[in-house]
Amino acid sequence: MTLPATLPAPSRTSRLARWWSRPGTERQRIGRRSMLQVALCQLVLLGIVLGLWEWGTQGAGVNAFLFGSPSVIAAQLMAMFSDGSVWVDARVTGLETLGGFVLGNLLGTALGLSLWFSRFLSRVVQPFVLALGSVPIVALAPIAIIWFGTGFASKLAMATLSVVVVALVVAYKGALGVDPDQINLMRSLGANRWQIFRLLVLPASLTDIFAGLKLTVGFALVGAIVGEFMSSSEGLGHAIFKAGSLYAISKVFAALTVTVVLALVLSAVVSRVERALLPWRHDLN
Amino acid sequence: MIGSVSFDLGEGEIVSIVGPSGCGKTTLLNLICGLLPPTAGSVLWHGRELTGVPPRVGYMLQKDLLLPWRTAVQNVTLGLQVRQVGGRERLATAQSLLDRLGLGEFADYYPSALSGGMRQRVALARTLASDPEVLLFDEPFSALDFQTKILIERDTARLVRGERRSLLLITHDVEEAVSLSDRVIVLSHRPCTVVSQHHIDLPGDRTDMMAMREQPEFARYVRKIWTELDIR
Repeated sequence: MTLPATLPAPSRTSRLARWWSRPGTERQRIGRRSMLQVALCQLVLLGIVLGLWEWGTQGAGVNAFLFGSPSVIAAQLMAMFSDGSVWVDARVTGLETLGGFVLGNLLGTALGLSLWFSRFLSRVVQPFVLALGSVPIVALAPIAIIWFGTGFASKLAMATLSVVVVALVVAYKGALGVDPDQINLMRSLGANRWQIFRLLVLPASLTDIFAGLKLTVGFALVGAIVGEFMSSSEGLGHAIFKAGSLYAISKVFAALTVTVVLALVLSAVVSRVERALLPWRHDLN
Repeated sequence: MIGSVSFDLGEGEIVSIVGPSGCGKTTLLNLICGLLPPTAGSVLWHGRELTGVPPRVGYMLQKDLLLPWRTAVQNVTLGLQVRQVGGRERLATAQSLLDRLGLGEFADYYPSALSGGMRQRVALARTLASDPEVLLFDEPFSALDFQTKILIERDTARLVRGERRSLLLITHDVEEAVSLSDRVIVLSHRPCTVVSQHHIDLPGDRTDMMAMREQPEFARYVRKIWTELDIR
């Protein structure tokens, strides 16, 4: 099977062509081809949805005022880029999310892992953790505003709170999941509790902790946006809320698009870090 | 679960314990290496009652228990790292052990890239790296195919006999017990007691597992022990 022959000759300078003609085994080239096919299908699917949407609002009976339209959304996005507001809002929300993500995960993971040291303590705190975990995060927003004001701190608190319980539970479950035979082996090697933790429990929990990180990126963003909905003067949540109150639906969609991009960028960063820190996990590559 | 069991393990001696499934062999091993406190009776270590894990003991199970985030050589250094041996020294020790087990070139592989036999060899190297005087093995070779098993038994015999370590091997495999050991202890069903002890006296090179199997005496020992095992 000669793959390149089945394709039109790519232009000599295009990056795609260079990517395509990278040396590799037959299998890698087949893998690359199927990747390209998937990406192509995704683009076509997106094009169809946007096309139908645009066609509908251009006179096929869909109310553009209620549903917005792709062309107006694109125009709104252009406007947000040209007046620079997109950078301000994305930066504000991004910092709130990232801050809450880091703080919440550090706090939650440290607490969760430290519970490994004491089965007794973990049993004592278990109902409180469950209670805290079952509180809907939106319900905490008024308290966060009252305690931390209407600025950055209250959003940071909201993002942190959305993350911390999940991180705690995930880290604790990860630490508890360590094979008892492996702990016995460490003991037979003469390891003390701290060594067992550092050499075995901590690295063994990393897989779970990273699964938690991927999950909590989204949670942190939800916390930050909810905080901005309650009371704020900038940020993507603020932009969405303001546009929504003015019935500027296309503007809502434009800000939403930026939010989605922000979420994707943040999770991509987490995946990169995971791959760099867990080199033994071949399945991640 | 364990009834009355009493036996000694001498210096430089290889002793196997065989018994029916579920008779408490693993519990016995955990008692001996101090991971479980006995509810009655005692374990004497150099004549003194054992409290906690004894200092120079090596422990190996059917599961290789390699840490997936450590390369082969890093897995071998684990025990030395626990004892805070310097980085360069522990790498040198580990590398030489891997070389002796024929895994020198796989030192930097992660366990996920090694075969079952290779992984168990790495586990053997890890067990030997901290220079234990007593080795406690709980069916470490039972999941391996026949060839791999014969080879790793040979390596074990060489490394244990060559350095006068003591080995207590728990196994299901009567042939393995006879070919490898100086003495075989047969246990009964629950509550387990010692049925009999056999001193295995086979001529020739005791590290050659296939030659041992060809001895006329070998078959006699195996048959006798098999009968005493009382497999129902």
